[in-house]
Amino acid sequence: MSDAAALDSTRRYFLGQCTGLSVGAIALSQMAERTSANDNVSTGSGIGGLASLPHMAPKAKRVIFLTQSGGPSQLELFDQKPDLIKWAGVELPDSVRQGQRFTTMTANQKQLIMPTRVRFTRCGSSGATIGEWLPHLQRVADDLCFIKSMHSDQINHAPAMTKFLTGHHLPGRPSMGAWVSYGLGSENQDLPDYLVMISRMQRPSDQPLYDHYWGSGFLPSSYQGVKLRNSKDPVLYLRDPDGLPKHLRRGMLDGLSQLNQQRSAETGDPEITTRIQQYEMAYRMQTSVPELTDLSDEPEEVFELYGPDSRRPGSYAANCILARRLAERGVRFIQLFHPDWDHHSRLTSWCTARCRDTDQPSAALITDLKRRGMLDETLVIWGGEFGRGVAGQGQWDSPEAGRDHHPRCFTMWMAGGGIKSGISYGTTDDFSFNTAENPVHVHDLHATVLHLLGIDHERFTYRAQGLDFRLTGVEPSHVVQDVLT
Amino acid sequence: MRARAFYSATLIIVFAVAADLRAEDAAFFGREVLPILSENCFSCHGPDESNRKAELRLDLRDGALQAITEGEPDSSELIARVVSDDSETLMPPPSSHKPRLKPAQVETLRTWIKSGAAWGKHWAYEKPQRSAEPVTIDKQLQTDCPAHFPFRSPIDQFVWARLRKESLTPAPQAARHTLLRRVSFDLTGLPPTIEELNAFDGSDSSYEAAVDRLLASTHFGERMAMWWLDAARYADTDGFQSDANRENWPWRDWVVEAFNSNMKFDQFTLEQFAGDLIPNATAEQKLATAFHRNHMTNGEGGRDPEESRVDYVLDRVNTTGSVWLGLTLGCTQCHSHKFDPITQADYYGLTAFFNSIDEDGKAGKGAKPYLTYESKHVERAIQEAQQLVDSRQGPEVAARTAAAGPFEEWLAARKQDVQQGYNAWTPLLGALESSEGTLLTQSEDAIIQADGPNPNQDDYRLIAPVKLSRVTGLRLEVMPHDSHTRSAFSRGRSGEFILTDVKVQVRKTGSSQIRDILVKSVVADFIPTGNGGYGDVKGLLDDDPRNGWTTKGAPEIGPHYAVFALAEPLVLASDEELTIELRQRSTLGDANLGRFRISATDQRGPAVTEIGPAPLEQLSQSSVIDEKLRARLFEQFLTDHEAYQICKRALDRAVAQLNEAKAAKKTEVMVLAEKPEPRDTHILVRGVWDKHGDKVLRGGLTSIAPLATENPTRADLARWLTSSENPLTARVLVNHLWQLCFGTGLVKTTEDFGLQGEQPSHPELIDWLAVECIESGWDVKHVLKLIVMSSTYRQSSKVEELLLARDPENRLLARGARFRLPAWMLRDNALRASELFHPAIGGPLVRPYQPTGVWEENFMGRFTYEPSEGSSQYRRTLYAFWRRSIAPTFLFDSAQRRSCEVRTSRTNTPLQALTLLNDENYLEASRALAALVLGKPQPMQEMSLRVLSRELREAELTVLTRERDRALDYYRNHPDDAVTFLARGQFEPDPSLPTPELAAHTIVASLLFNLDEAITHE
Repeated sequence: MSDAAALDSTRRYFLGQCTGLSVGAIALSQMAERTSANDNVSTGSGIGGLASLPHMAPKAKRVIFLTQSGGPSQLELFDQKPDLIKWAGVELPDSVRQGQRFTTMTANQKQLIMPTRVRFTRCGSSGATIGEWLPHLQRVADDLCFIKSMHSDQINHAPAMTKFLTGHHLPGRPSMGAWVSYGLGSENQDLPDYLVMISRMQRPSDQPLYDHYWGSGFLPSSYQGVKLRNSKDPVLYLRDPDGLPKHLRRGMLDGLSQLNQQRSAETGDPEITTRIQQYEMAYRMQTSVPELTDLSDEPEEVFELYGPDSRRPGSYAANCILARRLAERGVRFIQLFHPDWDHHSRLTSWCTARCRDTDQPSAALITDLKRRGMLDETLVIWGGEFGRGVAGQGQWDSPEAGRDHHPRCFTMWMAGGGIKSGISYGTTDDFSFNTAENPVHVHDLHATVLHLLGIDHERFTYRAQGLDFRLTGVEPSHVVQDVLT
Repeated sequence: MRARAFYSATLIIVFAVAADLRAEDAAFFGREVLPILSENCFSCHGPDESNRKAELRLDLRDGALQAITEGEPDSSELIARVVSDDSETLMPPPSSHKPRLKPAQVETLRTWIKSGAAWGKHWAYEKPQRSAEPVTIDKQLQTDCPAHFPFRSPIDQFVWARLRKESLTPAPQAARHTLLRRVSFDLTGLPPTIEELNAFDGSDSSYEAAVDRLLASTHFGERMAMWWLDAARYADTDGFQSDANRENWPWRDWVVEAFNSNMKFDQFTLEQFAGDLIPNATAEQKLATAFHRNHMTNGEGGRDPEESRVDYVLDRVNTTGSVWLGLTLGCTQCHSHKFDPITQADYYGLTAFFNSIDEDGKAGKGAKPYLTYESKHVERAIQEAQQLVDSRQGPEVAARTAAAGPFEEWLAARKQDVQQGYNAWTPLLGALESSEGTLLTQSEDAIIQADGPNPNQDDYRLIAPVKLSRVTGLRLEVMPHDSHTRSAFSRGRSGEFILTDVKVQVRKTGSSQIRDILVKSVVADFIPTGNGGYGDVKGLLDDDPRNGWTTKGAPEIGPHYAVFALAEPLVLASDEELTIELRQRSTLGDANLGRFRISATDQRGPAVTEIGPAPLEQLSQSSVIDEKLRARLFEQFLTDHEAYQICKRALDRAVAQLNEAKAAKKTEVMVLAEKPEPRDTHILVRGVWDKHGDKVLRGGLTSIAPLATENPTRADLARWLTSSENPLTARVLVNHLWQLCFGTGLVKTTEDFGLQGEQPSHPELIDWLAVECIESGWDVKHVLKLIVMSSTYRQSSKVEELLLARDPENRLLARGARFRLPAWMLRDNALRASELFHPAIGGPLVRPYQPTGVWEENFMGRFTYEPSEGSSQYRRTLYAFWRRSIAPTFLFDSAQRRSCEVRTSRTNTPLQALTLLNDENYLEASRALAALVLGKPQPMQEMSLRVLSRELREAELTVLTRERDRALDYYRNHPDDAVTFLARGQFEPDPSLPTPELAAHTIVASLLFNLDEAITHE
């Protein structure tokens, strides 16, 4: 007898024998020991997920990916180049440029070097260099691992972000979170494996956040990121309509379940059993999600830690608190998006605006996870799709100037599960234009993240369109061993 | 979180060996040997030379003979390597992570070599042949076949021949209602009506009549179009950057019409590839070419348009590959195919057909070439929109007239109120904060003065209780002072101020949370020009420190003010305080306000949207009320007269919809047109858009189907695709049609007929159908009719445990297909069952219900979604606006419409349950269905007939009655909840219907719509 059939007969037994037990309770008990007719699914600690995973002992149980959309400037934030002052206003040497194509926004202007005006501090015992616009991050520097030699090969936002998240610059591949959801499933039965939150901003962003950024690509759509919205319906269609009391919904679901079970017996289709379970899961989400998003049980000191913006629902800061709550609940992949890092002009007002939004909450998240003993098992990633160029965009010596996109090097930081803390890895040349030592391609980052979750990126494939796809693509990529504990 | 929707076989069924192939047959090689070589060897020893190892290639006979000795498996290196115990010599190497060959696979290789290692082609690269009908070979087949499975066409013979070999029995014919329901969904995407059910007696002739009726229905074209639109990656927006809207929807109507008129598939192909090149092409033939413009376009600032243009060209080839050829051509963009005999030169030879389109890579409104097209379907949309406007104009006028009386009363009362003078603005007194240390003090007249430190940038906050019954707007006055530089506005170097943003928030005492209050508009009494980003007062609302308000440039130093209108009147609880934050974060800073005052008002309308005195202020200052002031006061009154506002908003929405319909009269559709001077086409090295390799000419797939025409055009490409010499297109097409009816194709990997694709479950059947398709002149309706008329199709989908274990995916077809219907059919089903359905064909886009805020969230407010009103709301899902970056939320498991998709996944998740339970589309249909049956003799039975196409059994009725009575009991005791539950959407039930009954039946209707049976193709 197949598993599904076994479940079926168990349930029939229960329905026959155990009167008084609600259908919901039975479905719940099934859920707890859920296995599926799909032999891909493991019965290990994760729910869902592949039986063949993990390939090795994971160092991180989950990921919080603080995605900074638009391309934060490494030159203002992390990658200090004090000697650039000597080059101020000088044209970028061809020997450095090495034929790099610029966007059409600056391709027709001279590439005159603009040193940063930001003061840097060597922070903590590690001496990491962090610019003055990130005062809170400076205080947790010893918990972080900076990768200063990140590089990509896409110079425009949508292709670069698509590559950064899915490994390929054209839409159609699964996002990293979808891969992880597919591979590892979840530790939580009441919430999706992969949740996405977008900061609520007032400024219409020039870089919209397309839903393929958290899409499942060619994987079944059940692996796509679920957007947690700042709204009365934190998950779409979560709320029952007004005027429908809970007990009537329960009754309706019991009736639905009963009729579906009759149908299941008649047709023999195991998919119906699954559907009954999904309705029960939906019912439980109606409780679990509002509990999750209601921050009223957080003590005052938490809001003080994450900063004043954390009191504003939908802000990046409030989403950082939610990220910690999701991590506490065992959600596998948590991804925040903060838009509008695209400072083509006026760095001191534009870039600082995004720093203000994110600095304190990002640092607070590290502090908060650490004091709760969760940082060791949670991998936190901070970064955007590319960095900014060393030349000024516009008049380099004017306060109006900004910086254009730059994929050849940028800085990210990681912290937590399996990552060495208090180190900086990789370097860039004197212009923060090319990577110098230990370049890390976005695919290497993907390989490293999967490795920390116990997955060998070369063996983690999915067959679509006749090919075995993997997150890291076909070109060789490597796990960055030097940043691992 | 979820159960996996796909069930993998516990028992591996080898599909390919349908006929008893002998090892020396070429077909044995194609079906048995080649898949093993392809899967395990070709990634290093296949067509792609860039990755080839040891200079060994096993995809060609000559190459393979290096590792094979014909007739002698034991002396063949190939065998030695795959069975080796030495990890150094074992193939595939352990480093490839490919598992060791299974003993059965090794045995197949041995058998093949032993019998002489006959070489052949991959099955799909051989021209399809009509094999003899199985009964002509084996008469016994007919005799053995159960009576309930008559051979209605060779389809049934092929299926039965296979089943008999597996010792399986076909299922009996499905129940009458199930069969009609199944075929109605498959051919029209809609359930049968009660009349259609009644007219169908289950007999053969009655069934054929039903099939003919469905194929002739105009809804047939709509159903087929939904399939085609997915494959064509059709959407109504660009997909990238600002995701600008397109006007390509007339192409969608062309598709509907083409299917309805049963345009032959070769013509259908020709017009979409090259309608513009047909001599004396009609507008519709040019319109057809929009197929190849349905790709995403990227107008991102800073992007090289040529890079985008190249992307589009490649997308067209990849789409052609997936849809017509069932090939994953995209792989050959960077290198020759790893598995299939397709070179990079082949690939770029195909791109050459699309490389000379008169386009320049731009997006948005610059995505030429366009066809200016006037759709014949717009007139209907305009008429309907006009009717809606007309129906709402009367009530608006009446409400306005009816407001006259209350206005007089209001005016009399206001006259009393303002006798002692009236000021619309109440200054706010409260606590003050400065982020950076400015000393702020407030005097009794509420004026705030800055003193002490003068930081470069600062945020000021005023936290004030509000005595007003509500707040509709705020006023900020900025004042010069002698303590400021030049006695102007600030203590900064210039004396000017720059305010970058204003935030309004509410905080409740003791709560950790704050609430953002949305400000809708702002006006100021002075707006300078020429201060870079700083000047326009609107900059205060956008959270962008690069713009904001200053009065620098005013002719003289004097007080100024700005007025902010809140989006909604704000009512504060007694324990709530208002926070107004003034952000001063300009690029250079040093321009913090020195002196200012903030006031609030409870007046709506002109008081908060205009500069100058509010109407009531004018009233207080006037001894007589002239006509102008009277009119102004009336408008002021109406802003708060909800009875009028309801009618007014409804009318405004209808007018907006009418304007939209009128604007759709003339559309600019993106189409194909050839550049006068063709572009040269090059191989792109590693697929990179600006790395030109060798020049290539237009051509086909040299190893699979060469294209022999001299100087071929896109029209030749189309003819090549549908030539009877092309081994792929007909097979791929009939497989698509099979998939529409069975949920899965005969080749499961619809998108890949190549070596890595799955083998067909019934090889002779797919080939027979392919030949039949070609010989019928590519007649789509003919092939579909053949399929749905078959006994195979008509089988019951019920399954016993044994068969389920044996064939969980139903690849052997010993039963009917049971699978969840696509989400778009579920919505259409709900509309039809509830009779909300508006059956019009074609026309401008409509917007079904979608939760508010969905578009706004991803775009930070750039786009808003207003659901259609009137009958437009109830159009088929085919006509729904499809924003590519945020797919319609009421759909699930749908194609993404970003790149071509010919096979969508079917998952089973709690999010789908929530959608069907709580989405307004389904709730409204539930209300309408309940209203439709209430008062009828057997309301529950009628609902069931409409939703499930059958009557309920006693046990089912008992469950539904229990839930209805539970609800009825509740709503009779809580009538207000019943009203609330029903008061959504735009459907207005007959007011004579009792509300508790209606609410209770609505719940039952919703339950029915959620039943597995209701959402399943049975």
